[in-house]
Amino acid sequence: MLEKGKITAFQMGVIMYPTILATAVLIVPAISAKFARNDLWLSPLLASLSGFLTMALAYQLHRRFPKQSVIQYGEKIAGRAAGKAIGLLFLLFYLHTNGLIVRQYADFVSSAFMPNTPMIVISASLVAVVSLSVRSGIEGVARSSFFCSLLFAGAAVILLPLIPDLDAKNILPIMEHGILPAIRGMIVPQSWFCEFFLISFLLPYVSNAKDGLKWGTWSVIAVTMALVYTNLFILFLYGERVQDLIYPMLTATRYIRIGGFIENFESIVMMIWVLGNFVKISVFHYAVSIGFAQWLRLTDFKALVFPIGVLVVLSSIWSLPDFQLVGFYISNTFPIYATIIQAGIPALLYLIALMRGQAPVRATQS
Amino acid sequence: MRWDVFLGSTVAIGAIFAFEWPKMKRHPLKDKAAFLVLLLFGWGLAQFDLQYMSGPVTFLEAVFRPFSKMLNME
Repeated sequence: MLEKGKITAFQMGVIMYPTILATAVLIVPAISAKFARNDLWLSPLLASLSGFLTMALAYQLHRRFPKQSVIQYGEKIAGRAAGKAIGLLFLLFYLHTNGLIVRQYADFVSSAFMPNTPMIVISASLVAVVSLSVRSGIEGVARSSFFCSLLFAGAAVILLPLIPDLDAKNILPIMEHGILPAIRGMIVPQSWFCEFFLISFLLPYVSNAKDGLKWGTWSVIAVTMALVYTNLFILFLYGERVQDLIYPMLTATRYIRIGGFIENFESIVMMIWVLGNFVKISVFHYAVSIGFAQWLRLTDFKALVFPIGVLVVLSSIWSLPDFQLVGFYISNTFPIYATIIQAGIPALLYLIALMRGQAPVRATQS
Repeated sequence: MRWDVFLGSTVAIGAIFAFEWPKMKRHPLKDKAAFLVLLLFGWGLAQFDLQYMSGPVTFLEAVFRPFSKMLNME
């Protein structure tokens, strides 16, 4: 057994909250606004369907193959050769996506707060800390993430001082051009929701996996609510100018002034950004490290954590000289790629498992 | 060849090796091989001018371009 630790279903749900939201909350609203205009608050509601779908797929596959991740049951379902290929596809996808998350993190920190620090220093230092946490196993990840997630979720209140500046009329006219703009605005956020398939790597170590579906569903709902909340907030604050901003949330908090002298709330945004991304990168890094050890049938995944961390840092810069190209990749290529890997392949695996008459295994709790 | 990149990456890779290798004495050969191959691959990759080199992103953009055009994303 590669991993001896156990987490609870509730912990899993809490971890997944910043795992989806950490980058989504700062980057996605502006991308949604480009397509959906003032209907951008509808987009997360539609996009959450992807979250429910991938989470349910991961849970149903887990019921048929308990104690296994997608890397392992992929081989059982599709056969050895095809299963190995699918496993490698998943590993490369999560490795490369983790690189892009690190890049988004480093771009934000360096453009908004530390313009003179080389980006590689920002990204490498975070990945080093994450690697230490991942190295200690799932329990280490779960506990450090749990703490960070609570702070991350609590940060929603920092927008409240802006309430007097809001203009609720910006929401009108609702669905001026029908539902289509909102649907186009959902294409990017739904690829973030697809990342809920990561619970496939966590479920084997959940002690009360029966509650996995319940807490996973609550997690999807919480992420959806948080995105609707931020989208509505920035829509009320900026109207249609949202699409011209890269980080609308950050710009919004720069306006906050309490009592004429408490300012610079963007440092709190920075704090939640670091904490949230710490969790997000930990979960991805954990999935790749343990997945790689399962793929090669090794006895231990801990030694792989740092070498894979090096690859994550390198893929955060590979053929991405500036943020324009990162943005292009995130809004044009990534949504389709991520959906095919995290929803398409699992759906296919699930169908094959059903056709082969694979019944859910009766839960034997250990 | 940039010497600062070479030195920096070699120090980082060396530190990882020094940290992990003594803990791996009892591991099977396969574990050690996987560790060394991944580490050397990362060290080799770091020597290239990665930012301006075509790589996975270029490949994926070429593969998925027809789909993103179909969805009118550009």
